[in-house]
Amino acid sequence: MLIIKELHAAVGDKPILKGINLTVRAGEVHAIMGPNGSGKSTLSNVLAGRENMTVTAGSVQYLGQDLLAMEVEERARAGVFLAFQYPVEIPGVGNVYLLKAALNAQRKHRGLPELDAMEFLALVKDKMKLMEMSESMLYRAVNEGFSGGEKKRNEILQMAVLEPTLSILDETDSGLDIDALKIVANGVNSLRHPERAMILVTHYQRLLEVITPDFVHVLAGGRIVRSGGPELAHELEKQGYAWLGSEAPEGKSSAT
Amino acid sequence: MSTAIAHYLAEFERLAPSLPWQDSPQWQAWRQAGWDHFAAGGFPTARHEEWKYTSLAALEKLRLPCGPRAAAPLEWDTLRIRALLPEARHRLVFVDGTYQPQLSRLGPLPAGIHVQALSTQTAERSAALQAFLGTVRARTPFAALNAAFMADGVWASAEAGACLEEPLLILHVTSAGHQVHHLANVVQVAEGARLTVVEQYLGLTDAPCFLNQVTSLHLGAGAALTHLKLQQEGAGTYHIGALQAHQQRDSRLESHAFALSGVFGRNDMETVLAEPGAGVVLKGLYRVAGRELQDFHTSIRHDSPDCSSEECFKGVLEGNGRAVFNGKIRVARDAQHTVSQQTNHNLLLSDQAEVDTKPQLEIFADDVKCSHGTTVGQLDESQWFYLRSRGIGADLARALLIEAFALDIVASVPVPAVREALEQLVRSRDHV
Repeated sequence: MLIIKELHAAVGDKPILKGINLTVRAGEVHAIMGPNGSGKSTLSNVLAGRENMTVTAGSVQYLGQDLLAMEVEERARAGVFLAFQYPVEIPGVGNVYLLKAALNAQRKHRGLPELDAMEFLALVKDKMKLMEMSESMLYRAVNEGFSGGEKKRNEILQMAVLEPTLSILDETDSGLDIDALKIVANGVNSLRHPERAMILVTHYQRLLEVITPDFVHVLAGGRIVRSGGPELAHELEKQGYAWLGSEAPEGKSSAT
Repeated sequence: MSTAIAHYLAEFERLAPSLPWQDSPQWQAWRQAGWDHFAAGGFPTARHEEWKYTSLAALEKLRLPCGPRAAAPLEWDTLRIRALLPEARHRLVFVDGTYQPQLSRLGPLPAGIHVQALSTQTAERSAALQAFLGTVRARTPFAALNAAFMADGVWASAEAGACLEEPLLILHVTSAGHQVHHLANVVQVAEGARLTVVEQYLGLTDAPCFLNQVTSLHLGAGAALTHLKLQQEGAGTYHIGALQAHQQRDSRLESHAFALSGVFGRNDMETVLAEPGAGVVLKGLYRVAGRELQDFHTSIRHDSPDCSSEECFKGVLEGNGRAVFNGKIRVARDAQHTVSQQTNHNLLLSDQAEVDTKPQLEIFADDVKCSHGTTVGQLDESQWFYLRSRGIGADLARALLIEAFALDIVASVPVPAVREALEQLVRSRDHV
């Protein structure tokens, strides 16, 4: 589904990603772990198409298409979803409006009829139950005045409504208490599907206790320095990231 | 004498005999005073503090005939689709400066409510009208020019305790162009009375024209007036408006201004909080694109203690559009316990757009709560990215963010039908 080859990217003129290679197949859940500054969020944002990131070399194929050549909204319509580390507050735009506009834009792209208000509300209310969100949040402005946990749940709600083919969760566990983490995990697990794939970007192992990945990759210094199964996450939990020093000196130096 | 002044003088001399109530020496004197006041100062230039950022050079070059013009016949069905309140039970319609009884309608009015076109006033009633129009010398240059030429408009009044629940629509349509129109509206809300007045200026032509209007509002003790003015002028229209409000004890004025199109717009809005307990809310939204300009000069005079004012203007600027906001608030020495709040926020959507914004607080009392704030910003990239990352197209995402910025001004309009129509208008401009 997703083939990343020798991806190099910079933020401003500072190189962050220095040759990422990663293949994600349908049905798989990959975890990307690594210390702060290793390039985890840059990778997520490059995949979603953020404009202040410059790809300097390499390629990303998504379902046979050149992902990097696609506009931000084209990627979303093709089924790529980024759950933001810091969801953006948009005063004046209703949460329900965003959900409906997003869903219908994607349905239209896929040649499906747009949902009418009744069908849409039924769908959203169903997903809100899953996320244990109160209906009143639909009628508030996007993320405005939401607590950290509410914002993250709102991201997963959007994901549940949009049913993306490839989901990238950028530090979704950060700032969540244990109850919220479980709700988020339920939402994410409900979306696991043989035809969908997920990339979980995280600093800590605790998200991986509630969402079991098929593969774990360690990112350091802008490169994947180790890959393995779920047991690798446990190893990291015990040893921390300090051992990376010998394998990836750049990773250590850029870690803060 | 400048050639522009000579042009207007010739027009004044040509039209004066046919202007309403000119058989009355008081009116003759009043109009002459208006002319003299305007002619003495001439067209303001950048040297005038009040006109520092707004050039009148292009308007001064327009030598258009003044006065009402025989209007081409228009059907209500044509106007209905553009009217802010298509179902209004009470509406007065003017086309090219002239009252159109066949396009207007007045449902049964409650006792104590009077609504009439100025041109239909008898000389006898017109004497009372003049009192409400105030002293010409206190007027801005263009309001003085309006005094000289003013030939039509609306006189709406509510006697003590009277109340009109439905809004009154005053619709002015510019249809032919190539003309200068002078209109005056007088709204008088006596003690404890309530009224809602909506002024809509609708341009159906892109030909050059100049509309110079004055609206006078008089609020008695405990009176409540909701006022709204919408400018949807054609691409060639210069619109200059003056709002003069006078408020007595415990009166409440809410005035909402929407300047959405027209090559040039200038509004001088002044309210005097003359007696204790009076309150005013001024809200405004201006949008400019292409080479348009909108200029709002507001002035709130806290002349008495325990009065409040709340003012919020927002601007959306695209292309080479320009805007000016000057918000003066004057708190007199004995106007203690004044509460006053002023904000002006601007969204610049292009590198060529420009806004000059200036709060101007003159506070002579010492026990007051006054605040003001101004921002000039651009579209938030992270919000734009967020919306697009959900599959919303770049243009729609941009339009949504512009609406989100502008719509809280629309949301503050208390008349639901007007609010909904304005939402559509603000949206449609984004989605073009």
